[in-house]
Amino acid sequence: MILADNITKYFGAFKAVDSVSFEIGRGEIVGFLGRNGAGKTTLMRMLTGYLPTSEGKVIIDGKDMSKNPLSIKRNIGYLPENPPLYSNMTVKDYLKFAARLKDITPKQILACVDRVIEECRLEDSRGKIISTLSKGYKQRVGIAQAIINEPEIIILDEPTSGLDPVQISHIRDLIGTLEHKRTVIVSTHILSEIEQIAKRVMIIKDGRIVKDDSLENILCSDNRKDIFIKVAGKEELIEKAIRQADGFKQINIDIVQDDVYLVQAENKNNILNYNDLLQKLVDNGAKVLEIKQKKGSLEEEFLRINRLKL
Amino acid sequence: MRKILDIAKKELSSYFRTPIAYIVLIVAAIVFNMFFFIIVDNSQEASLRDVFKVMEFLFVFIVPILTMKVFAEEKATGTMEFLMTTPTTNNQIVLGKYLGSLAFFGLMVAPTGVYYLILEIFSSPDRATILTGYLGILIEGAFFISVGIMCSSWSKNQIVSAILSYSILFMLYFSLSFIKYFSGIAEQIIRYTNIMSHSENFLVGLITVSDLIYFISGILFCLVITRVSIDKRI
Ligand SMILES: Nc1ncnc2c1ncn2[C@@H]1O[C@H](COP(=O)(O)OP(=O)(O)O)[C@@H](O)[C@H]1O
Ligand SMILES: [Mg+2]
Repeated sequence: MILADNITKYFGAFKAVDSVSFEIGRGEIVGFLGRNGAGKTTLMRMLTGYLPTSEGKVIIDGKDMSKNPLSIKRNIGYLPENPPLYSNMTVKDYLKFAARLKDITPKQILACVDRVIEECRLEDSRGKIISTLSKGYKQRVGIAQAIINEPEIIILDEPTSGLDPVQISHIRDLIGTLEHKRTVIVSTHILSEIEQIAKRVMIIKDGRIVKDDSLENILCSDNRKDIFIKVAGKEELIEKAIRQADGFKQINIDIVQDDVYLVQAENKNNILNYNDLLQKLVDNGAKVLEIKQKKGSLEEEFLRINRLKL
Repeated sequence: MRKILDIAKKELSSYFRTPIAYIVLIVAAIVFNMFFFIIVDNSQEASLRDVFKVMEFLFVFIVPILTMKVFAEEKATGTMEFLMTTPTTNNQIVLGKYLGSLAFFGLMVAPTGVYYLILEIFSSPDRATILTGYLGILIEGAFFISVGIMCSSWSKNQIVSAILSYSILFMLYFSLSFIKYFSGIAEQIIRYTNIMSHSENFLVGLITVSDLIYFISGILFCLVITRVSIDKRI
């Protein structure tokens, strides 16, 4: 659905986005995670056709952005980093204007405006001048504008930045209600947020994608060294088995109940293969009940990536 | 086309969402009126020629204020990013905004139609000259506005954009005052590009092809430059 084919963006001699490639399928919810200045906004601006790429292509639904900008833009809803609002218009007038620009037929405009006003819970602000709204409400108007023509692709640049926790949870709920068949890209520099919104995370650093994986995989990625094994058997035999197993080192052993122990072990060589460990345990008459990898947090991963080559 | 009109409509109504529009309209009406009565009273002539001269002089000062926000504001607030990511072409954006500003300019000039009625009632004015005079004033204003919009597309800052358009308009309008310091080709260029040397004929009832070409090509040139600077995201 969205294909970034080796896209690069120069500002003068400065490379803000550096040879980025990825493919995002229909219905995926993807988070762009990166510190300020990482290049998230620039990348989104190229995906939405606001900025041309310096090199490479943005292909949406098989169509090249530089060749078919209008038909592609019709299918993308975009909330820029600063909500693009005309501060002296009323919410309703602004949304009507947005609907017109997005080629909604005149007959449907009012219905579409009413729909997004309801979806974004703006009923009581409909007639208010935008400059009088709170930041959270402004952000909702920005989102309303992005989804007014029910685009298949929705791109939101830091939709929760600068909001208080209650407003953030409103926006998050709103993103959650966007229909499943839609493809959503959300950027943020706030870690906890992406864990709650996105299913797939791209970590961006210095204009490059340094990690692109499912949230699940990032959270239990193979560089988490510690594993937990719940095992039934004799304590000294279990300890012996772990000593014999290749690449594991016991850190701790707790008794869970009679003859059932929880062993914490370090996976020294980052191997994902437990066969040898299992074999040794079985050879020592133990029964493995559960093996669990310690779940890392995205935060650890993010900090780790950003510490590299700083 | 529909979209050009949508943008023009938004542009026109955006003028009325700020006090500047009302101030400009009221001040323009007061000043035009003042001069109309002074001029008519002094010259005892049933013509609007001197009124038109005062109007074009005032336009040099008013138009940059009207146009300074056109693109500068959209760029400063980020709404430009919104406009450009909707299925709207840059030509539609430029033309829509131009049309909207022209419409406001039209509203500013329209009340002066009363002067014509007053002349009609109390004397027998030269209708053809008044008509060409209006055409001259309108096409000249349309040119000023295209200059102002072009300058607005060069900056995020409304003040900078106004200063740029004042510089260009002053240069084109008052350049004849400095003509004595120039000679040869430079003198000819200044004479040709001077606005007044092309608006004069309209005021005395003459429409010449060369004047029309001057204004129309000037307008097109500015709009094309505007389109280019929008493309380049200056
Ligand atoms: N229009 C521009 N001109 C020059 N440099 C820019 C421009 N836009 C962004 N940059 C630079 O590109 C880098 C990436 O910026 P940005 O995409 O806004 O990052 P993020 O959204 O991740 O904070 C930053 O170093 C920023 O200063
Ligand atoms: Mg950003």
